[in-house]
Amino acid sequence: MSATIALGRRGLREALRQPDALFMTMFIPLFFLVVNTGQAARIFPSESTGFLKGQGYGAFQLPITLLLAASFGMAALFLVEEIEGGYFDKLRAIPIPRYAIVLGRLVTEGAKGIVLSTVIVLLALPFGITIASGVPGFLLLVLLSALWGIVYAGFMQLIALKTRSAAATNSGGLIFFPLLFLTPNFVPRDLLTEPMEIAATVNPVTYLMEALRSLILDHLDWGKILPGFGVVLALGVLMLFLNVRTIERYD
Amino acid sequence: MYEDGRPAVLAEGLFKHFTGRDGDVEAVRGVDLRVRSGEIFGFLGPNGAGKSTTVRMLTTLLTITSGRAEVMGVDVARKPDEARRRIGVALQEAGLDPRQTGRELLVLHGRLFGLSPARTAERAEKLLALVELGDAADRVIKGYSGGMQRRLDLAAALVHEPEVLFLDEPTTGLDPASRLTIWEELRRINSHGTTVFLTTQYLEEADQLCDRIAIIDSGRIVREGTPQQLKAELRERRGGDEEPTLDDVFLDATGRTRTRAAGEVQEVTA
Repeated sequence: MSATIALGRRGLREALRQPDALFMTMFIPLFFLVVNTGQAARIFPSESTGFLKGQGYGAFQLPITLLLAASFGMAALFLVEEIEGGYFDKLRAIPIPRYAIVLGRLVTEGAKGIVLSTVIVLLALPFGITIASGVPGFLLLVLLSALWGIVYAGFMQLIALKTRSAAATNSGGLIFFPLLFLTPNFVPRDLLTEPMEIAATVNPVTYLMEALRSLILDHLDWGKILPGFGVVLALGVLMLFLNVRTIERYD
Repeated sequence: MYEDGRPAVLAEGLFKHFTGRDGDVEAVRGVDLRVRSGEIFGFLGPNGAGKSTTVRMLTTLLTITSGRAEVMGVDVARKPDEARRRIGVALQEAGLDPRQTGRELLVLHGRLFGLSPARTAERAEKLLALVELGDAADRVIKGYSGGMQRRLDLAAALVHEPEVLFLDEPTTGLDPASRLTIWEELRRINSHGTTVFLTTQYLEEADQLCDRIAIIDSGRIVREGTPQQLKAELRERRGGDEEPTLDDVFLDATGRTRTRAAGEVQEVTA
């Protein structure tokens, strides 16, 4: 555990040394928030759109912003850079559990996710977005976003470990990226066309998005919140299992 | 050999097979080695001969297909963590995290090896001075020159005071001055009792530094002994008055011919 923490702290030090990377991680999701809200806000006025629960369309879009920001982690790219550069082998030659090498980066992603989610939500508040579930909901919102960041970064790390190539790791990200959009990101699931509704229903990210949205628009509605945490937990366990197995067998 | 007579590094019948898209490759084919405690052992061979693969097996980074290997009496396959505590490793690329400072890297390694914070700080300071990086200690590694990175890599391999230091081509690509600095540091490290296992493609380096050498070709050890023994053996076999160089020994051992009167391994052809 101490090795994981030491490697996590290393990652945080590096992140703080590259504030421009953190800025870009936030800029693109916030850009989407502004653009999507600007384009669709007049179609969905808050007074006459029931699913907005009295808030503006920006509140409905905030979950996709949080998920995007959490999915822009750098863990896999840093890992593959270390594999290609040889530092990964240097770490493997140290008597620490090998899983600590991948978990260390995930600790960093979790901490970055908490900071990014908090900043994004705080930036959204002056624009009339409120967190209907109050302070507990705000904390759950930040926690769920950060946990998703860890899970997503973990799957990207898996690609890095398997392929050992920066190009393949980048391309692998593009395979997962559509999952973020095969969701009810513009309207609730029951308003989607049938094929999209089916796609969204089988896509686990949908339940995550609905949980985040519920925390913003509703009072604590555990019927929507728990499936989101369930998805993160299930995918997290799978991700950890695959990461640990892959690094233990790395040759 | 250390006190109970066992060698610092032992390899017996070491094999490594790789299975790839183009079929099976036998990178190492039955390597036997015995490195004595406290010596500088040179491991030479042409590119692709199996040097790095052997080192990677000895340092727990690659699984062993068959055979066995020990470092200071510890089986590297059965007790890899115990073996890792006893060895320091600097591989072919100066594998460093470019976003950390030199001091941060050494401190991180010390902590990962289980040293206390105070001991880690003390070791980092001492090693930075040893490799003459005191002034650059708090700069990020990305800005270091190639020679500085090699020296820091060496320091990182020494942070936990290993009994055996494995160096895979530590001076490849360095300018002559940086190479000499590394040589001096290796002699100094060895003088404190650390066994050094060194792969190199520079025969002059092996001649200058190594107590004994082994030459590997096509995955097999083809010569082993002190540089003087190997040269004497070749002179005796060839006859005549000309004193063979280690280049001649290398060429003879690997079945290659000299295409230029002087030069390094890269200047010969099969």
